[in-house]
Amino acid sequence: MTDIPTSTPIRSGPRINLRDAGTFFGLVLIFAVFAVLTPVFLTAPNLINILQQSSINACIALGMTFVIISGGIDLSVGPTAAVSAIVGATLMIAGVPIPLAVMGAIATGMACGLFNGTLVAIAGLQPFIVTLGGLSLYRALALIFTGGNPIFGIPTEFRDAINGVVLGVPVPVIVVAVIAVILWVVLNRSPLGEYILAVGGNPEAARIAGVPVARTKITVYVLSGGLAAVAALILTGRLGAADPTMGNLWELDAIAAAAIGGASLMGGKGSVVGTLMGAVILGGLRNGLTLMNVQAFYQLLATGIIILVAMLIDRATRGRA
Amino acid sequence: MAPARRHSPSRRDGPHESIDMTTSASRLSLVGVSKSFPGIRALDNVSFDVRPGEVHGLLGENGAGKSTMLNILSAVLQATQGKIFIDGQHVTPARPADARAAGIAMIHQELQHIPQLSVAQNLFLGRPLTTAGGMLVDRRAQERRAREILAGLDPRIDPRAPIHTLKVAQQQIVEIARALLDDAKVIAMDEPTSSLTPSEFESLAALIARLAAQGKSIIYVSHKMDEVFRVCDRATILRDGRFIDTVDLSQITEDQVIAKMVGRDILHERHVTHARPEVVMQVEDLSDSGLIRNASFALHKGEVLGLAGLVGSGRTELLRLIAGIDSAKSGRVILNGKPVDLRNPRSAIRAGIGLVPEERKKDGIVRERPVSSNIALPCMGRFSRFGLVRRRALHAEATSLMKKMGMRPPDVNRAIGTFSGGNQQKAIIGRWLAADVDILLFDEPTRGIDVGAKSEIYDLIAQLAQAGKSIIVVSSELPEIIRLSDRVMVMREGRISTILNADAISEDAIAANAIPKSQGPLAVAQSIEVLS
Repeated sequence: MTDIPTSTPIRSGPRINLRDAGTFFGLVLIFAVFAVLTPVFLTAPNLINILQQSSINACIALGMTFVIISGGIDLSVGPTAAVSAIVGATLMIAGVPIPLAVMGAIATGMACGLFNGTLVAIAGLQPFIVTLGGLSLYRALALIFTGGNPIFGIPTEFRDAINGVVLGVPVPVIVVAVIAVILWVVLNRSPLGEYILAVGGNPEAARIAGVPVARTKITVYVLSGGLAAVAALILTGRLGAADPTMGNLWELDAIAAAAIGGASLMGGKGSVVGTLMGAVILGGLRNGLTLMNVQAFYQLLATGIIILVAMLIDRATRGRA
Repeated sequence: MAPARRHSPSRRDGPHESIDMTTSASRLSLVGVSKSFPGIRALDNVSFDVRPGEVHGLLGENGAGKSTMLNILSAVLQATQGKIFIDGQHVTPARPADARAAGIAMIHQELQHIPQLSVAQNLFLGRPLTTAGGMLVDRRAQERRAREILAGLDPRIDPRAPIHTLKVAQQQIVEIARALLDDAKVIAMDEPTSSLTPSEFESLAALIARLAAQGKSIIYVSHKMDEVFRVCDRATILRDGRFIDTVDLSQITEDQVIAKMVGRDILHERHVTHARPEVVMQVEDLSDSGLIRNASFALHKGEVLGLAGLVGSGRTELLRLIAGIDSAKSGRVILNGKPVDLRNPRSAIRAGIGLVPEERKKDGIVRERPVSSNIALPCMGRFSRFGLVRRRALHAEATSLMKKMGMRPPDVNRAIGTFSGGNQQKAIIGRWLAADVDILLFDEPTRGIDVGAKSEIYDLIAQLAQAGKSIIVVSSELPEIIRLSDRVMVMREGRISTILNADAISEDAIAANAIPKSQGPLAVAQSIEVLS
């Protein structure tokens, strides 16, 4: 076939930054609109508030981004978070030192991810179905273990740590920022990142090129499970309780943030910075509408519209794929 | 290759007769067609004509403008300048549907249909025969009409069968049927044989001849010179978007045509062997659970071993076993004295075996990723330190590899999908050079690659052998196998039937060992024809 380079543009490496610039533009636009509509919106305390409110979704969405880039999906993040929170809370209440309890919670989330990843990568089941099964399974485990009741009595040291503020920035925001920096390096500067992008872009070519495909896939699910646990710990610390129904529909917010940030559900594409901005867009939207006393039903409507508009703009600017 | 040409080629070197471009008998005329993209003039003032009942080749290297020309004919693109006449009438199709209505049908290289729908449903896609005042699709009428059309093409095709159950060759016939349904006057075929077996090509060639006899004009785009000479009456040659010549194929040789396309002669350069006596790889009794039975052979250092055989004889399967992609049932591969762990490609690569796969898009490249990443995949360890990729080292090595191989443009940060097939192939070869494997397995290394890049790939393979790499090349093109190989191994029905030494290599010897034994001498003679 004759190739006319200009007739079939394909996104190349550096252009991903262009996509991030687009997301940033969307973010600025939405914030500008709210700044005009409600004066309170664009004040430092409120902006920090937005970041804090977005931190849990951002944490989940970062893991989701990696799974999506690898060509998969993780619908089980909410229940994984719930199980992890229950394990963490139970350990804390049983008197286990807090750092150990935190590690126990994260290990629980990673174990859920390992289970998902093994079924996807080794047994060869479809990610959607595996994690849909996990969604029910982990929720059931959390409900059975607790009898459906929240676990109260989280130690104050832990609650204070999560609700703390360092140099004016809430701890959850710092935690998520640190995670994001590490994940950016992993995706853009590490062999694992290359493997994830290759496996998502073309799994068969990656295998033939010697990429450890199964190990790479399992790793992203373990990562997603671990980050779900981190999000669960943040929420547990803020609420002072671990609720077995925690994390309902988290997976949808996370997928939305990743998609707004430029992750392709076909795999092979996605951005850490984009996903963070996607989470802040969704958080800012909810915050702004709440400030304007818009009913919750309409907030849902606005969220849906933003997601679809973002995808339409994405499609139009990428050209025909 | 000695194709069964329709006309005996003339050996004279003088200028052939020029063809009257203004003949009133032309079915399709292009006059001064130009097409510009930002920064590129893809077509520059191209004029040629196609007669009724003529099979007209459209030849040129990648980037010569063939695809642009086809896209303009089918109104996917609009010409910047120039006119198109059909039967003397000026047509200005603005959309693909207009081109179809004007009588121009396109058979794309990648066939376009909906796999789950039936043959008849696909034929009438978008303009169904209806009943009940247009409310309902009249399936029975569609099937009847489909059967009528297909009867003249291939009566074995059942109009009710889901189209994905058909072989590729039959799916192609359905596309042709669709063109006939449109009452097309001109049928343009883009690389129609890229996924056909030789016997399927035979049927297609016969079908094309029948269509031409019925007065249809065929435009035939192909890289395969022997096919073009076999099928076409005349051909128009493009180079760098410019019209070079329209030639009568009965008056010109294959070499002369290639010379017009690229300006030099590539298949007849002499083969020089770099093989050394020491055995590098020993394959012993390798079998899989399907086709491959007890494959045993030795590969020497610096040797190029050709692997020939009919399509389906197990050539690709054998390469995949050796590369650890599919799992072997029994047997082993010994490399540098040690048995190779063939459980997965990764372990085979670690042992020093790399495969350049036939289907580059599917099995070779990750198209959105930069060339440098595609090169580094098998040996990320080499390019990383403390868990991080050493981007500068990777970039430097990839750039120097690609410069050595003549990649254009030499920008390793660009997505590999934006490069031509030849450049992608160079990147895949570069991948194995970066990984420093000892054994390179090439599966149809020049498929879908234009003539110019082909000769570069041939040179590369020779250079690799000279550098001490050992190479196995699978190819369906006998001249290519003969041009490249020190020895030729022939496969037949999953077994190695013979290994021909340099002095025994000939098209006849390869063909005789490739044909299934159960068939008589007549079949052998026919297959020799098919193979070449």
